[in-house]
Amino acid sequence: MKKVKLSISGMHCASCASNVARSLKGISGVKECTVSPVTNKAFIEAEDNVSEEDMKKAVAKLGYKVVKVE
Amino acid sequence: MDEHAHHAQVQEQSVEEMEMRSWKRKLVLSWIFTIPIAILMIAERFFMLPMLIEEYMIPIILVLGFPVIFIFGFETIKGGLRGFYTLYFNMDSLIALGTVIAYLTGFFSYFGFVADYSGVAAMIMAIFTTGKYIETKAKGRASQEIKKLLELGAKKARILRGKEEVEVDISELKIGDVMIIKPGEKIPTDGVVVKGDSAVDESMVTGESLPVDKLKGSNVIGATINQDGILYVKASKIGKDTFLAHIIELVEEAQGTKVPIQKLADKITSIFVPVILAVALLTFLNWWIIGGELGRAIGVGIAVLVIACPCSLGLAVPISLMVGSGMGAKKGILIRKGEAIQTMKQVKIIVFDKTGTITKGKPEVTDIHSLVKEDYLLEIAASLEKNSEHPIAKAIVNKAGLKRYKEVSKFQILRGRGVEGKIGKKEIVIGNMTLMNERKIDARKIMKEIEGFENSGKTTMIVSESGKVIGVIAVADAVKEDSIDAISRLNNDGYRTVMITGDNERTAKAIAKEVGIREVIANVLPEDKAKKVEELQKSGFVAFIGDGINDAPALKQSNVGIAMGTGTDIAIEAGDLVLVKGSLVGVVEAINLSKATFRKIKQNLFWAFAYNVVAIPLAIAGVLHPVIAEIAMAASSITVVTNANLLRRKRI
Repeated sequence: MKKVKLSISGMHCASCASNVARSLKGISGVKECTVSPVTNKAFIEAEDNVSEEDMKKAVAKLGYKVVKVE
Repeated sequence: MDEHAHHAQVQEQSVEEMEMRSWKRKLVLSWIFTIPIAILMIAERFFMLPMLIEEYMIPIILVLGFPVIFIFGFETIKGGLRGFYTLYFNMDSLIALGTVIAYLTGFFSYFGFVADYSGVAAMIMAIFTTGKYIETKAKGRASQEIKKLLELGAKKARILRGKEEVEVDISELKIGDVMIIKPGEKIPTDGVVVKGDSAVDESMVTGESLPVDKLKGSNVIGATINQDGILYVKASKIGKDTFLAHIIELVEEAQGTKVPIQKLADKITSIFVPVILAVALLTFLNWWIIGGELGRAIGVGIAVLVIACPCSLGLAVPISLMVGSGMGAKKGILIRKGEAIQTMKQVKIIVFDKTGTITKGKPEVTDIHSLVKEDYLLEIAASLEKNSEHPIAKAIVNKAGLKRYKEVSKFQILRGRGVEGKIGKKEIVIGNMTLMNERKIDARKIMKEIEGFENSGKTTMIVSESGKVIGVIAVADAVKEDSIDAISRLNNDGYRTVMITGDNERTAKAIAKEVGIREVIANVLPEDKAKKVEELQKSGFVAFIGDGINDAPALKQSNVGIAMGTGTDIAIEAGDLVLVKGSLVGVVEAINLSKATFRKIKQNLFWAFAYNVVAIPLAIAGVLHPVIAEIAMAASSITVVTNANLLRRKRI
């Protein structure tokens, strides 16, 4: 298991955050994901084999951008 | 922080600023085009327009409105329409659909269409942009304390290279570097003073308002301000391991946690937009087919689309949590889990660990009663205790101040009771009465002295040699200055205050009496604290306050765990709330802050629900003009954010 923090740009409403959380949770191997509409950060708990690329794609699909991965 | 991370942080801040600037630019440009539209519309409605203008009204509005919707509003339109093929609808989907339909009615009016909402389209977009700008600004205010924390770290450090002083970037600083900090300067990173003495203002990190004296050997925290002397500090932690970095991490992570009360709001937010799309469609069909007025039906449909506000619902809780966290961080109270602020309201019992929580955790030997030569007693006691890490052991070792110790074999720590070992052929046992009873060592000879020490709140260590008592060492751990004040406030607020300790009953009761705690659970082994908390939980919700290192299981077991820091170290793992400085007044503040934040959360949720419950039916009923609907929508999400900001007025 690993913990990943993403900073996401372009989300400017509460449904955006909720959509991003839903999209990230859709990746197989992602166990837990919360997205704050205030800090624009996603906190993800995922299996080790989930790649950063998958996460970035899941965010990009909705038209937002991952600006930082921690 | 390494250079990359530092760079990213700077970049991230500017992303936020860029967004603000871009909203502002869009806002100004939108209104430049929208104000003439508004004037035309008002003129048409309330005054007679000259025929010539009347004739060209629609094309003028279409031309003026185009950039507002499709250029300045491009991001919104694009993001919103994207929802229709990814099926991830968001707020923009509602605005995009509403404005595009409204705009198109202008064209259709040339084909004998019944109504024209093209002017409304530009106004909706302009108001939406304005609302977002104000909201983003208010959100920035909500996170100002946290932003300040992020910017708190030093950028440069002056270090010794050989005999030369050189200034380096903070990212080039290495562990072991000796930093030179002049009066008024920021201490670049965590470290230990190797030369010089001074007072340091730590308020920005710990919330402690008084400067703290530092001298050789003292720990200092990065980002705090050196007051009056020159300090030479050897860097001990850098980058992500520093005290400040840990605080930031805790506060940021907390923003990703949920408060249970928001579950319903979150669920509604996640299905809100598709539901509203359906409701708008049904409303439109109803007004068209049953009402028979297509023009009116379009207007009502647009009003439903733009009045619905998922943001007020979705932001109500996290924005309040953000303001509450920021206020806390400023005072050295870190909210780690959103859940804790909700649970806090139900807490009835507050359990304090004694050592290090109520007391300073730095015990000192105060009395020795010896049946042999006192020096001899101390010598063998210190020789054994030297092998233990326990604070009481350290107190005895310090008191003895030996240069050479006797050789000890078969040393053993008996958790919660004492130590034993052999010096030469002599069996030495040092510990509490429980241990003496266990070993059948008769301590009656010194019982009077033991009782006397314990009645004044001192912990006693009985020393025995070859099965015979040879003396007793009394150790006292001074009560923190503000413990009495904090506990009397909690008692007055109606909490049941309990102290839990491994000490014997008499010592524990004496200390409890001194600070005003009414209930004592004594003789508890460290590993049994969690069990005791569980027992107390049968009669109500329990908050446990402890140091977070030895008390981790009890902190976890309790309904709200409050971990106490020591000022230079924070217990990261355990605790729902973390107090940076070790003051008990922080507990009172943390409780008040939690309650105030939770009240704000409830208020916000109420307003958000009430708004949607009232506004959406009004729009469906067709009593709201689309422009009024959009104004109401913008106002509702601004209200929620502004209301959260009002939390700051509350004195904690």
